[in-house]
Amino acid sequence: MENFNTVNSSLLLAAIFTPILVGLILLVGRNLPRSFATGFALTAFTLPALITVWFFLPCAEAYGSVTQYRQTNIWGFCFGLNGISLPLIAMTALVGLAAGIKALDQEVESRNAYLGLILFMLGGTLGVFGTNNIIGFYFFHEFALIPTFVLTLFWGGEGRRSAAMQMAIYLTVGAMLSLAGIVIAMQTVGLGIEDATFEQLFLAFHQSQLPLPAATTAITLFGFGTLASLFPFHSWAAPGYSAAPTPVSMIHAGALKKFGLYGIIMIVAATMKIGTGTLSHWFLWCSVANVFIVGLICFGQRDLKQMLSWSSVAHMGPIFVGIWVCATQGVAEGLDAAIFLMVAHGLSCAALFLLANAVRTRTGTYRFDELGGLARHTPVLSAFFIAAIMASIGLPGFGNFWGELGVFLSLRNQPFILQVFVVSTVVISAIYALRAVASVFFGKVSSTIEARHAYAPIVDLNGAERTATIILLGASLVIGFIPSLITNYTNPEAQALARIAQAKPFKAAPLQESPRN
Amino acid sequence: MTFPMASTELALKLLAPRNADWASILPEISVAGLALLCLIQAMFLNKKLNWLIPTTARIGLGLVVLMSLIPFTPWNPCSGVATTTFSGLLQLSDVTCGFRLTFLISALLTSFIATKFLEERHAVVADYHHVVLVITAAFMLLAQSNHFVSLFVSLETAAVGLYILVGYLRKSDASLEAGVKYLVAGGLSSALLLMGIVLVYGSLGATTPDSLNFDQIAKALAAGHGTALTLTGVALILGGAAFKLGAFPFQTWIPDVYQGAPTPTTALLGTASKAAGAFTLFLLVTGPFQPLAPKLAPVLAITTILTLVAGNLAALAATDIKRIIALSGVSHAGFILAAITGILVAGENGDYDTNLLAYYLIAYTIGSFLVAQALISIPAAEDHRRPLLQLRGLIRRSPILAGGLGFGISSLAGVPPSIGFFAKLFILILLAKVKLWWVFGAVLLSVAVSIHYYFSIIREAVVRPSVGDEIIETIEVSATAKFVIGALSAATMIGGMLFFV
Repeated sequence: MENFNTVNSSLLLAAIFTPILVGLILLVGRNLPRSFATGFALTAFTLPALITVWFFLPCAEAYGSVTQYRQTNIWGFCFGLNGISLPLIAMTALVGLAAGIKALDQEVESRNAYLGLILFMLGGTLGVFGTNNIIGFYFFHEFALIPTFVLTLFWGGEGRRSAAMQMAIYLTVGAMLSLAGIVIAMQTVGLGIEDATFEQLFLAFHQSQLPLPAATTAITLFGFGTLASLFPFHSWAAPGYSAAPTPVSMIHAGALKKFGLYGIIMIVAATMKIGTGTLSHWFLWCSVANVFIVGLICFGQRDLKQMLSWSSVAHMGPIFVGIWVCATQGVAEGLDAAIFLMVAHGLSCAALFLLANAVRTRTGTYRFDELGGLARHTPVLSAFFIAAIMASIGLPGFGNFWGELGVFLSLRNQPFILQVFVVSTVVISAIYALRAVASVFFGKVSSTIEARHAYAPIVDLNGAERTATIILLGASLVIGFIPSLITNYTNPEAQALARIAQAKPFKAAPLQESPRN
Repeated sequence: MTFPMASTELALKLLAPRNADWASILPEISVAGLALLCLIQAMFLNKKLNWLIPTTARIGLGLVVLMSLIPFTPWNPCSGVATTTFSGLLQLSDVTCGFRLTFLISALLTSFIATKFLEERHAVVADYHHVVLVITAAFMLLAQSNHFVSLFVSLETAAVGLYILVGYLRKSDASLEAGVKYLVAGGLSSALLLMGIVLVYGSLGATTPDSLNFDQIAKALAAGHGTALTLTGVALILGGAAFKLGAFPFQTWIPDVYQGAPTPTTALLGTASKAAGAFTLFLLVTGPFQPLAPKLAPVLAITTILTLVAGNLAALAATDIKRIIALSGVSHAGFILAAITGILVAGENGDYDTNLLAYYLIAYTIGSFLVAQALISIPAAEDHRRPLLQLRGLIRRSPILAGGLGFGISSLAGVPPSIGFFAKLFILILLAKVKLWWVFGAVLLSVAVSIHYYFSIIREAVVRPSVGDEIIETIEVSATAKFVIGALSAATMIGGMLFFV
């Protein structure tokens, strides 16, 4: 393992622990004055974003590789980054910043507690991608989930009771299953809790070449799959996002859910191996169901937030397919594109949740049949919303385009029927998303909106909402125009993992990395 | 005539304990002394100074906790080898310290949560603390037993004390009913245990000088002297221990007794008494009955699975908080049994942490008392009726109670990063090591199922009251309750973090 320099290690720790500490202060100091709390929280939301953007600069030398994290060891936890987690942690910090700006703009009961819990959630999510200790990875995930549960129950919208319960049960089952798989894997190679970092587990497996039962790989895969809303274990996701308050949906659907995908990449694909047998087929067809069946479910939604929630589940499909094609067929582009899509989807999905809430605060409803013609009153909101929808369906210019295109290209040697199913995501999502845009923003101004407007004029996006949207869509545009910002980091990792997949199961794979500094 | 003389001399020599023997049970003696001190205070103190009694118990127990932790003392030798004292009646080993600590912590917490509860119900405070201390001393001796006589005597001492505590609220029908139920069920289990001891004693009597001594039983069984009668005895003895633990099929008394008993007693029953059952079972299967391991392991494994299923299924249907906690206690008994099964299969020189059980039980104790303290602080007309609806809007009425309840339940449910998560993780790791996959699967599944009933408690406490819900006044939380909730909540988190330091 390679160690961080002092500056980077302190920065990474600051990025993870500032939100947690400030969150703690705000939770304890429930009566802190408003301005003080605002300033404090804003600092804690901004700092991780600045730090992780700095990590992106080549001169920061802030990341290692799959087999060699650049890390720092503190209190027995290893904190470190590799080429996969670096883009993810940066995306998390940006989504967190946007969610924070949105949260600060909201008027809620017990504001300090609300902000504090959101900061906890953000800190936990940053921790997920900032640690390479497997138990730490878990620790931070659950650390972020508990505030999610509380936030949904107390500040959530309609159906929060059942949604929070469903979410808690599904996520715990998923976490337990994947944990069981990891415990079995750790036992197989005789790794203790303290040494169980991703790369130790990885190296131990590839050096010992011990076989692992396919059942173990399967429960780990489907455990993580549940957390990342893999079909048919996806049904918690849409109600959960819909019922949660907007900043929580943004962080959860945008960033926290990528925990499951990251786990599949780092543990199932890299270490346990999916192979090309039955498990590979199950995984593939579940992923395709995510694309196609969940895509069709999106058609049926008559509620803007529900539709966005379901579409965020549907968009996991191409990511799963990308991971599948790399892990089982050894096509490096697949993983490359999947990671790209994870980042881009996080940004666009957070922007959509944010703007949908802006629609709701102005009109008082999410229902399509009560909305219509909003563009006349709120041109900026409409423009941003359309841009975000375009990003989410993969229009060139935004990051999602490269991700989806990459996944399609990586399938070039696969059966035609598979290509058809996966490419259908573009058609399906274009239909339901554009139909939503049409029914919310265009057409005749609905009576509900007329009534609202007569009661109090509907105003366009305010400064906070604009800033938050610009951060998210701006980041998506930047990676859309300069994709090498991300692929430079992910390429070598994807190549390494693809080489592992191409090698016969449990034969030593060439692990030499291209030298970089 | 010389023969009886010599034997008397020998007996006297063996029975006259050496100073080292007494020093090795100094913590137990201190707790018993503390119990007497409470009674004496109650006799002579002015009524105005009555607050001194619980304070004495708390400070005294705190000091004993510290004392029992000092390493390299006669009572905590840290030598790594087991030493027998009192002519083989007791045995000090490297697990004793953890066992003692479990009982001391639950007694200390009971003394913290009971006082206000009893005062509010106009019950006598001094006697309660006295009985708790006596029970604790008995349990601490039980965990060191190396002989069926000391095992049975200390178990019965504690059981009699618990009968009193369950029926302590004499004006409450529920408490009395629970007391009678516990008395009948407990009497039955003692009878089973005694019957089993007699059978083992009788069937092995011809082969060893003292067939009540654990080491000699182990030797006799290893030599193959066990008969069908011995096995019946072993089954009955394990049944008696399983009753204390609340394992299948001896779990049926648990919900009624736990619900009816005064809440501090429920907490004590759920933790100390369960721990006593767990440690007894552990001592028996790793001590005298170790040679029977190939026969016992499948029985224990099946019991584990059935206990988990029974506890979880029943808890899913319960709607009263005390009942849910009681039935979830059955599922915790399943986890404990899983650990014991794992230890048994791993064998004497197996690669496991000997403090696994004590760690799990301490984690469970912390979570249980946190929930108990939060429940006691919520005003209710009747202590034995605490429907889930009572928690509605708790987060508004008292964020501290809601937070404490949240931490406690999360730890019981095993949500990372709480101490309960690591306790369960270590059991899972042990089960994976010894490749008990069926038990491993059952444990995992029950963790998943338990989320439903545990989170339904948190949900009621945390969910924002909907429009139309009646507005309820805030709850005044006493300083002691705040202290207990704060300290235990911190303990659930810090206890988990300790593994990374």
